[in-house]
Amino acid sequence: MTLTTPVVEITNLKKTYMLGKVPVEALREVNLKVERGEFLSILGPSGSGKSTLLNLIGALDKPTSGKLLIDGVDVSKLNDNQLTEIRLKIGFVFQFFNLIPRLSAKDNVELAMSIAGMSKVERTKNTEQLLETVGLKDRMNHKPAELSGGQQQRVAIARALANKPRFLLMDEPTGNIDSKTAHEVIELIKKLNAEGVTIIMVTHDQNLAKEAKRTIQVFDGVIESDMVN
Amino acid sequence: MRTRDIFSYSFSAIKLRKLRAGLTTLGVIIGIAAIVALLSISQGLQTTITNQLEQGLAADTLIVSVSTGGAFGGASGGTGGGGFGGGSSGASSGFKLYLNYTEEIKGLSPDIEAAFATVQQSGYLQDGDRVRAISGGISGVDFAEYANIYSTTFVAANGTIPLNPSNNDIVVGARVHDPRSNGTIFVNVNDEVTVIWTNATQLPFTNQTYTAHVAAVLPKIGSFGIGGPSDTGVYVPISQAQSFFGTDEASAIIVKLTNSDNATITNVSKLITDHFSNQVNVISATAVLSLLTTIFSTLTLFLGGIAAISLLVAGIGIMNIMIVSLIERTREIGILKAVGMKSRTVLSIFLCESVIIGLIGAVIGIVLGWGLANIVAVLFSGGGPFGGGGGLAITPILTPEVGLLALGFGVGVSVIFALYPAWRASKLKPVDALRYV
Repeated sequence: MTLTTPVVEITNLKKTYMLGKVPVEALREVNLKVERGEFLSILGPSGSGKSTLLNLIGALDKPTSGKLLIDGVDVSKLNDNQLTEIRLKIGFVFQFFNLIPRLSAKDNVELAMSIAGMSKVERTKNTEQLLETVGLKDRMNHKPAELSGGQQQRVAIARALANKPRFLLMDEPTGNIDSKTAHEVIELIKKLNAEGVTIIMVTHDQNLAKEAKRTIQVFDGVIESDMVN
Repeated sequence: MRTRDIFSYSFSAIKLRKLRAGLTTLGVIIGIAAIVALLSISQGLQTTITNQLEQGLAADTLIVSVSTGGAFGGASGGTGGGGFGGGSSGASSGFKLYLNYTEEIKGLSPDIEAAFATVQQSGYLQDGDRVRAISGGISGVDFAEYANIYSTTFVAANGTIPLNPSNNDIVVGARVHDPRSNGTIFVNVNDEVTVIWTNATQLPFTNQTYTAHVAAVLPKIGSFGIGGPSDTGVYVPISQAQSFFGTDEASAIIVKLTNSDNATITNVSKLITDHFSNQVNVISATAVLSLLTTIFSTLTLFLGGIAAISLLVAGIGIMNIMIVSLIERTREIGILKAVGMKSRTVLSIFLCESVIIGLIGAVIGIVLGWGLANIVAVLFSGGGPFGGGGGLAITPILTPEVGLLALGFGVGVSVIFALYPAWRASKLKPVDALRYV
């Protein structure tokens, strides 16, 4: 895994679901390469196959055929356990935040580190640092229910960064928060990218997609366009 | 993920659903408490009875009595008449055990050290204007021989047992001295009392009496003194009994052996029964004890089995709760897996929750069961409202083995019933789990 290894490299990727007895081609022939430090948005309407692509890039699912390299590792050949290990290299940010409700902001971030097997001392130090980065150090003992949508999403971003991932994978990161706070989240994402974090963001919102440096449009299971903003 | 982190994560999940976890734990608590209470009471009871038997019936002693199913111990009476002997054959054979048979018995085997007869009749004791029936019977025994065999029980708690008694010396049991065990003294050492026996062998019935001197009071023995001295008995010199009761028949002949080997006991028992053509019962402490041990282990197994069923029900409760919890936490599991938690760790977290529930349940259950056993023991012992004045003090016994067994059982049942839900949780696919609302 040299510095020049693309974080994601996709060749002739296909994914077919069985909907009852009918096969549905969610992705047909997708080719994509994401380099280190990029800020890429994947834009597409619902049903375009962008969620399928997100699941595949996130190593949550395996392709039907084709090659999918995450940090140089071919995902299609991995078993469930190995897929899980690969996911430690990916920082997920979900539309609905997906924080553990009973844990405080600090514990949510720490949980990701403890899953990776980090020691308590290291965890405490890193967590405080990360929550400071996302601007929530003063609220770190609050539970998700006591935080606004924007704040929850920032905790989620801190959690995604917990294990120094190869890239952040975001699914409609502002889809569930009001436009003002959404702006703060976008600024945070841009700041992180400026500091060198690779970001892949899936959205159906054209305005949000424009914030990225590069946008690809998915439609009907293929990449329709790939352009630099 | 580190074991400690797994534990604290599981614990936080349990803490969130306190009521539910509490109710689940309650199932384990009840099961374990039942097991511990039953086992410790039955073990305590067994030890109490065994101890008392061992005291009342020396291991190297045989008791020979006419095989009628009646009182089979020279001075027993307190055992409820033949409950353990089981000898009911030959009830009307007309065979009589005479006092001088002791010599014949002595000659049967070199393993016999001594043999002496006892004569027992039921009667009354009068002190001043108070009269009490002597439920343990008035027994004629050779004080010296009797004290020799029952060296721990036929000793004086008060006064002295005369080894060469004069005819009017008597020795009384602890509950003749203090019938209610509460300090209300009936007879005391050095009292002059009247021994009363109703002679029913001829018509009309006549009351025979003589004045006796209380030489000694025995220590408290307990109610299971087969053959040995009894708390409710009165002991008079054998010669006096013989003339007072006007008989030369022995109620029983007590045989002391030179050793207490099983082989000797079996051998001599057979010699004696054969000598009297099967018309006598020979009872040994060993036989009674082994019978009791069998009864108790069966009883313990039976009670333990009932308690185990309640634990099984608790296990099903755990499984039920875990499945509900698993469905509720589908999304959480999805998140954990997406963030990189392995299936094995998810499994561990769920099993860990069951271990915590099992452990807490077992510990509380053991404490509760122990408390329950003690309460029951107090209620049913001599002094308690259900004690019946039997004077049988049960001390519940909780051996470390039973404690560990209960702990292991509680945790084991919890884990076994959590296996399936935990396995299902670990098999959830993150994509599906995340989609779950």
